[in-house]
Amino acid sequence: MDIHVDKDACVGCGLCVKDCPMHVYELQNNVSVAVRPNNCMGCLSCHEICPAQALEHRGIYAARRHYIDIKVCEMLRKVV
Amino acid sequence: MSGGYIDELHEAFHSDLIYRSEDIPLDCSPKPKEMEQTLHGVMKLNGLIIRSLEEIAGRGANAVTYRAGKKFGHEVAKYFQKRDDVEGALHELSDLLRGQYSFEVWKPEDKETFIIEENGETFIYLVFHDCIVRQTLRRNGLDQGGPLCQTLFGYVVGAIEEITGRKAKLEIVHTGPNACLKKLVLK
Repeated sequence: MDIHVDKDACVGCGLCVKDCPMHVYELQNNVSVAVRPNNCMGCLSCHEICPAQALEHRGIYAARRHYIDIKVCEMLRKVV
Repeated sequence: MSGGYIDELHEAFHSDLIYRSEDIPLDCSPKPKEMEQTLHGVMKLNGLIIRSLEEIAGRGANAVTYRAGKKFGHEVAKYFQKRDDVEGALHELSDLLRGQYSFEVWKPEDKETFIIEENGETFIYLVFHDCIVRQTLRRNGLDQGGPLCQTLFGYVVGAIEEITGRKAKLEIVHTGPNACLKKLVLK
């Protein structure tokens, strides 16, 4: 697993450090660093919790998302 | 209600199709894309049932859904090959759950084997990737790890017990939007 933290975007809140059950992240100089990327099982809780959207995972299995309403997405695409 | 509307309804539900009792449908009908409304309806209904069950039965809701899942697990797995080894049983289970759930056996990097012995208990970490329960909960804005998750727990435990003849327990370690980490404790 390759985890990239955008150091410019990270606000150093430490939410990813607290939330990750496998202690993948550590705060170093007020910036989150993925110190144990091989322990990541790809739950993406850190993505959901990160207020700065500073995280990027590469080589991850994206679970099926049946709950996304296709019609709503079609409408959003017209607006966004 | 106008006669025109009733005629329209009759027309909508009428076709020239000849359906014989021996006809076995070989394809999913209608196509999955057309099933989206049905899928969302089922997810919505399941979410409301679980929410109501929790409101009325409180913590007892977990016991009800766990038991339902366990019965389902036993029921489905009884047609599968019986095995003594947990690894083989998990393989059987993965076939059993295909299409509804997908999972992998997982270990942290500091562990050497997938079967971990710690504090007097033997367990295996399972990472659930695709999960119809998670889909339903997120569709309804419900928390993960509640009564609906207990159906999956019961299902896995029931199936493992049926395949191996060993008692088991499934615990939540972590829930996430893309995957959940569970601990299968073997007894």
